[in-house]
Amino acid sequence: MITAKADPDPAVAAKAGRHPADAQLPAGARSAQSAVVGAAVVGYAWLLGGTAPFSTKALLGVLLPGALLGVIAFARPPERIAPPEAVDVAGLSYWVICIALLFEWEASAVRGSSPPSHPSLTDLINPLIAPHPVKTAAIVVWLLAGRALVKR
Amino acid sequence: MNTRTVTIVGFVVVIAALAALEVLGRRKIGRIPTLGEWLGYVMRPRTGRALIMAGWLWLGWHYFAR
Repeated sequence: MITAKADPDPAVAAKAGRHPADAQLPAGARSAQSAVVGAAVVGYAWLLGGTAPFSTKALLGVLLPGALLGVIAFARPPERIAPPEAVDVAGLSYWVICIALLFEWEASAVRGSSPPSHPSLTDLINPLIAPHPVKTAAIVVWLLAGRALVKR
Repeated sequence: MNTRTVTIVGFVVVIAALAALEVLGRRKIGRIPTLGEWLGYVMRPRTGRALIMAGWLWLGWHYFAR
């Protein structure tokens, strides 16, 4: 028999990235909650993945989780994963150089209207995520990334 | 090798470099921060937080709404 236990210490729940209010939930309820939220996220991604490009539904489908996470991030933020006090400038510069290269490579393709001889990353990725299940998976990854960002 | 292949190889090389930086960061080699660490650092102020969230939203719009 599985016994449901609440977190004995709200700080433990906070460290695990849960909102302090959720610390009062028993462990079993938290699992059920996670399962329901996971199913909802996949279902939402499936619906969004089926919308037509440039349609109002697709636009609203992207803006809705954006607004939701925006509210969570700024009005009801979860306990954040402690950011470092400082990052090494030289170490960070490697990231900046690579990201700048990526943007420059993309910009050079977009500047030329992304011809087949020099396609943009977008034009390379769009056919890959065109199948509905793949697009659904990509949207789930995007939503999870947004959730992870809220905790940062 | 035609220019299309060169373009694709260019993207692959840069994305592989980003992945390599993440691996090096996680292994604590050369004081390279992980993606999560530097994003967390950038997101300390509310402005940085808003900008990164806006970037995330733009990505979603760019790939899933258009």
